[in-house]
Amino acid sequence: MSGIISESPTSAHPRNGMRSFLSRLNFSTQAGLAVLLLLVLAAIFAPQLATHAPSQQSLINQLAPPGGKYLLGADQFGRDIWSRLLYGARYSLIIGFSAITIALVLGSFIGMVAGYRGGAIDIVLMQMMDVILAFPSLILGLALVALMGATVTNIVIAIAFTATPAFARIARAAVMAQRDREYVQACHAMGFSGARVLFRHILPAILPEIMVMASLWMATAVRTEASLAFIGLGLAPPTPTWGGMVREGFENILSSFHLALFPSMAILLLVLAFNLIGDGLRDAIDPRMKDVS
Amino acid sequence: MVSFLAKRLGFAVITLFCVLTLVFLLVRILPGDPALVILGDQASPESLMALRQRLGLDQPLPVQYARFLMQSVQGDLGRSMISGRPVMDEILTVLPYTLELTMAALLLGALLGVPAGVWAAVKRGRTPDYILRFLSLVGLSLPAFVAAIVLLMVFAIQLRWFPVISAGGANTLAERLRQMALPTLALALIMMAYITRVTRSAMLEVLSQDFIRTARAKGASPSRVIWNHALGNCLIPITTVVGLYLGILIGNSVLTEIVFSRPGLGKLILSALTQRDYTLLQGMIVIYTLMVVVVNLLTDLTYGFLDPRVKYK
Repeated sequence: MSGIISESPTSAHPRNGMRSFLSRLNFSTQAGLAVLLLLVLAAIFAPQLATHAPSQQSLINQLAPPGGKYLLGADQFGRDIWSRLLYGARYSLIIGFSAITIALVLGSFIGMVAGYRGGAIDIVLMQMMDVILAFPSLILGLALVALMGATVTNIVIAIAFTATPAFARIARAAVMAQRDREYVQACHAMGFSGARVLFRHILPAILPEIMVMASLWMATAVRTEASLAFIGLGLAPPTPTWGGMVREGFENILSSFHLALFPSMAILLLVLAFNLIGDGLRDAIDPRMKDVS
Repeated sequence: MVSFLAKRLGFAVITLFCVLTLVFLLVRILPGDPALVILGDQASPESLMALRQRLGLDQPLPVQYARFLMQSVQGDLGRSMISGRPVMDEILTVLPYTLELTMAALLLGALLGVPAGVWAAVKRGRTPDYILRFLSLVGLSLPAFVAAIVLLMVFAIQLRWFPVISAGGANTLAERLRQMALPTLALALIMMAYITRVTRSAMLEVLSQDFIRTARAKGASPSRVIWNHALGNCLIPITTVVGLYLGILIGNSVLTEIVFSRPGLGKLILSALTQRDYTLLQGMIVIYTLMVVVVNLLTDLTYGFLDPRVKYK
């Protein structure tokens, strides 16, 4: 298993470099990336791939079974499940990606400052993070969305809020491991400002660890978004969200279980893809894991 | 030991204090007048005023805050805005259902997960290892409601082995267990996935150490080396993960309870949300957080029992 942070290829051809980068990743990461790519493409080309408009109802085709005109069947309003799944992928991906980007930037910043400065700043910042961690994240997300209202922005804020402490912790630990290294001392000797040392020199060194965390937390974010929608705190109908589709399908589970089954599988697939990527990347960058796995 | 305990308790108290403050601010800052929510748009200004007075909402925020803190410390979380019953009573009525579910899931998850993790470690790099690693990754990718729905579809609807709805009313112990089986299994599968993974990686680390080679060299049987010598040294990482994920499990129980229409904290928090019962919601968040803080504290204390070398400072 080759590490992805060993020196980057010096090839002049960017395409070549990309191929060699991919071939160095382990199977788990490759499989996860392939599934993710497929789902991203499905979301981007939803208008081309959809056979029906996602909210188009049809009275005579209510609860139509899979096959025929409706690839994966129709729901209780006669809406095409395949088309709704395609459009639903957009919400899962956009909400997950936005939330984790915010958490990554905010959390890493807090953690890096805490780890680099130490002392009282460290204690106060990390105590704040510990308070957020004391809430079960689903309950915190649920309370935030319920109080603020279920809009894309609010769901993103709620998920980002629950994910920030994880990034703060990992960034803090990573910075503390780098703080006393020789290259950092060299930077200080050259009179670089604290901010420059931290963000120009230490950040690149700890970025791989943060990216692994980001991938694993993307999985959590997608799962949380789906869970909120399943509880009824997702985007308002008729917006097609996977969690919302499972919720609606669950009401008809005794007669037609395909309504809940397909969106459930879609959620599982996307979450699994992110977990495969994160898990594979971690094996690749952690030299300790390389020996044992 | 005593000073360690005092320090941990101190941190727990600080955390709880911050949590109470955060909960108070969250519920107050956000838009929406609770009195208006309770009485509706048609209410007269006088009755709105009277209700605000009764709920203490006419007081300045610092006064409300001080009162909220004092009452919370005494275990008084106020009265539900809808039912008028004390929030503590509402919670205590359903808490046993949620505790029974999460504890059973934790136990089952550990009983299945530890052997699975040991097996994967022993068979490292071979088929059982790959299969278990992939399955555990699937397990921790499963949203709790998906796990619950799949189990419901297969075992309750198709095979009819278990009841579809597990809402109370069981007279015999057998019936009670039958109702609990599927919700427990749904949560246990996720718990098992986490435990399998941590057990595997902890075992791999321990198995490469010198004392294991020594044990093998002196002729201890392979099973004795694994179960007695190695596993004992894996208990700390396993406990850490169990403690960490118990919080997730408590949150996930909400989803399972909804799928199986099981009484518990999940149903209560849902009704608090839909009826905009702010006092109930606020009280429930405090109780959820209290459980997480207590679990973390217990996890820290367990280390000393598991490994005599751990010294509390």
